[in-house]
Amino acid sequence: MSILGGGIFKGMAVTLRNFVGSYINKKERLPTNDYSWRADGALPQGIGDYPKEKGEQLSDTTTVTEYSRNFPMLLHDGGEPMDTVRCVACQICERECPPQCIYIEKDYDENGKYIKRPAVFDIDVSVCMSCQICVEVCPFDAIVMNSQFELSTPDRFGGLLVRRDDLLKSNDYYHQIHPEEAAARDQKMAVEKAAKEAKKKAAAEKAKAAAEKKAAEAAKEEAE
Amino acid sequence: MNEVIAFWILSAVAVLGALVAVRKRNLIHGVFALLVFFAGLSGLFLLLLAEFIAAVQVLVYIGAVGILLLFAIMLTERVAGDDDRRMTSRGWLWGLVAAAAVFVLLLLPLSPVQQLSMPKAQDPSEFLTQISDPGSDGKFGTEEYPKFGKDDRKPVEQLGRKLMDPYVVTLEVLALLLTAALIGAVTAAQSVRMPKEEDSPE
Amino acid sequence: MIPELLINILITTVPLMLIFATLFAFTTWLERKALARIQNRIGPNKVGIPCTRIGLFGLGQPAADGIKMIFKENIVPRGADRLFHLLAPILALIPAMLVLCFLPLDFPWVNEDSVKAYLLDGAVIFFFAITGLNTLAVFMAGWASRNKYSLLGGMRAVAQMVSYEIPLVLSAVIVVMMVGSLNAAEIAGVQMRENWFVFSPWGFAAFVIFFIAALAETNRSPFDLPEAESEIIAGYFTEYSGFKFALFFLGEYIAMFAISGLAVTLFLGGGDGPGVTLDQGLPTEAFPGLAVIWFLMKIFALIAMMIWLRGTLPRLRVDQLMGFAWKFMLPLSILNILVAGFAWHAERLGNTYITVTTWVISLAILYGAASGLNQLNRGKVRPREYKYAE
Repeated sequence: MSILGGGIFKGMAVTLRNFVGSYINKKERLPTNDYSWRADGALPQGIGDYPKEKGEQLSDTTTVTEYSRNFPMLLHDGGEPMDTVRCVACQICERECPPQCIYIEKDYDENGKYIKRPAVFDIDVSVCMSCQICVEVCPFDAIVMNSQFELSTPDRFGGLLVRRDDLLKSNDYYHQIHPEEAAARDQKMAVEKAAKEAKKKAAAEKAKAAAEKKAAEAAKEEAE
Repeated sequence: MNEVIAFWILSAVAVLGALVAVRKRNLIHGVFALLVFFAGLSGLFLLLLAEFIAAVQVLVYIGAVGILLLFAIMLTERVAGDDDRRMTSRGWLWGLVAAAAVFVLLLLPLSPVQQLSMPKAQDPSEFLTQISDPGSDGKFGTEEYPKFGKDDRKPVEQLGRKLMDPYVVTLEVLALLLTAALIGAVTAAQSVRMPKEEDSPE
Repeated sequence: MIPELLINILITTVPLMLIFATLFAFTTWLERKALARIQNRIGPNKVGIPCTRIGLFGLGQPAADGIKMIFKENIVPRGADRLFHLLAPILALIPAMLVLCFLPLDFPWVNEDSVKAYLLDGAVIFFFAITGLNTLAVFMAGWASRNKYSLLGGMRAVAQMVSYEIPLVLSAVIVVMMVGSLNAAEIAGVQMRENWFVFSPWGFAAFVIFFIAALAETNRSPFDLPEAESEIIAGYFTEYSGFKFALFFLGEYIAMFAISGLAVTLFLGGGDGPGVTLDQGLPTEAFPGLAVIWFLMKIFALIAMMIWLRGTLPRLRVDQLMGFAWKFMLPLSILNILVAGFAWHAERLGNTYITVTTWVISLAILYGAASGLNQLNRGKVRPREYKYAE
């Protein structure tokens, strides 16, 4: 027969051990303050402080870990953003987004033919819940997650709608903030590209072989 | 002098509270005004140096009866007070006459008392000797215990002894009454949920 | 006459308010840090000296919270009762502050003339009467928000507070019975002469019951059903923002201090400690103010216990809560009164053997009753009955 209130005492002993251990045995009891994933194992200067310099975009992305995510961004492969943008405005992410915060309009040239670029690509900051579904479904690896968190503005309506030109970031920036994931994504794209090239080459060779065979047959028929 | 000012302020609060309580259309406002009246009454008890009664007044009336009234109103009625309730009745003149008669009746026993002057610190022991106290040792009003507060028998103890000695039957009857009320309340609350599971799947 | 009286009143009350308001700020900081450390994280540690980066372990956090709450917009729901919406937090704060003057804190700057409310002959019962006004404030808050969930939360809170008032008062009755007086200073004085009441079996049981009921009265975990965030959002103070919420918060913490103070007075000796002796009716201290320091340290020990329990225990459901009050605490406290009554008479006989036997027997009775009630109230697990299957 257990002592009256024994469960409560056991619980209180556990919490006391947690409390005392968080001063003595910091590594075991405070796991979220553990920064050993950093290459030097030490805390950079001012880590965890709210960044005060509003200068470059990177200022608020270097104070968070490389696994943090906040808001999507469109990737382009360097140079003039709209020339090398990966997004083709297929609108898959618009349809898959659960709170429906993406708004896309396709780009048409002078003749009305569809160019593979988005003319309008808006994401509403107040609606986006950072679920990453748009990243998962994009077939072109065009939209990935940024870790920039300084998105507040005094304008309650227009300021919270991030437009296409603010969403475009280069692939080098992506490598800087999320090195592991960017490398994995580049490798996946290279593998896919190589597979596509190999398939194209095989198809071309088969077509050439078929064309040669046809030419040979035609030549044989003519010979007879 | 302080006591006179306090008396007038507390009486004004109590009377105003009572008036607001009966005249307000919104029932909840009325009940809160009634609680202000109870608080004023408790202050008047304090002025009479009956601190135990003052505390019990707050504890029982404001803390229990007030909450009970609020629950009762909440559970039974629309309290927004926007219905057009007529607050005057036809026989208001006779009501006023009856209230004046009760007022005069209440004032009659108080005429020997002096003009609302509060007794000084030595006098309450005189009041206490006026109450017939079969269990007392006759300690009051003597040279040994002149000042109130250093008595062995404080008013609370006096109250307790009186409850046990002359008035114990009253106490027990009250206890039985309260028990009966409790049991009745539990039964009344339970009988609403009649077991309707007579139909078994057969 | 009047200015003198006013000064005498102000000398006792204003320092009390200032001291306890400062202690409140310190307690909010302490609670956040302690809860955080229990939950494997650090609490606030950035807000220290303003305009610098020196975070003094987050000691500036209460000030920052206060400033934030003052500047928040004061929203009153449309159609709500504006007068009661304003009155409810005030009515929650005033009883808590008022009741602090009934604690026997003998500050060194207080002289013979100043008004000491704890020397009232009915100080303890005044304490309970005024603490009962908290229920009224909760109900008013729930009703004035014009939100049916707030009203529901308010009613549940009032039911909880009213149910736990009875064991609270009954366990205080034991101490009053042993001392024979409702005078707070006298109760503390008796404990300075003899043992603290917590060291006797009925006193210990009464202290435990009092402490649990005090947790429930101030809506503290594990009884914080009315104000839990995962329950009915915030229950009766959902619609309160800014300074009114701060007033509720302040009222809750000061009520915590007040009830802990009463527990210290009734059970833990109230000012008793090494260096304080009772000499011919008046306590003498090694240096003036030592009794107050001991009192405040004991209050802090109880507050630390409350914070510890908050970090440990899950929240009780409303039917578990009410069942606990009416089926366990109430019978136990009534039995405790009976046992204490017998023990009082037994101690009067003066025989040590009888006293020791009484202690052992009362310990056995109380522990047995508590375990018995526990077993009785254990939920019965029946095999599942299928009405339609098979």
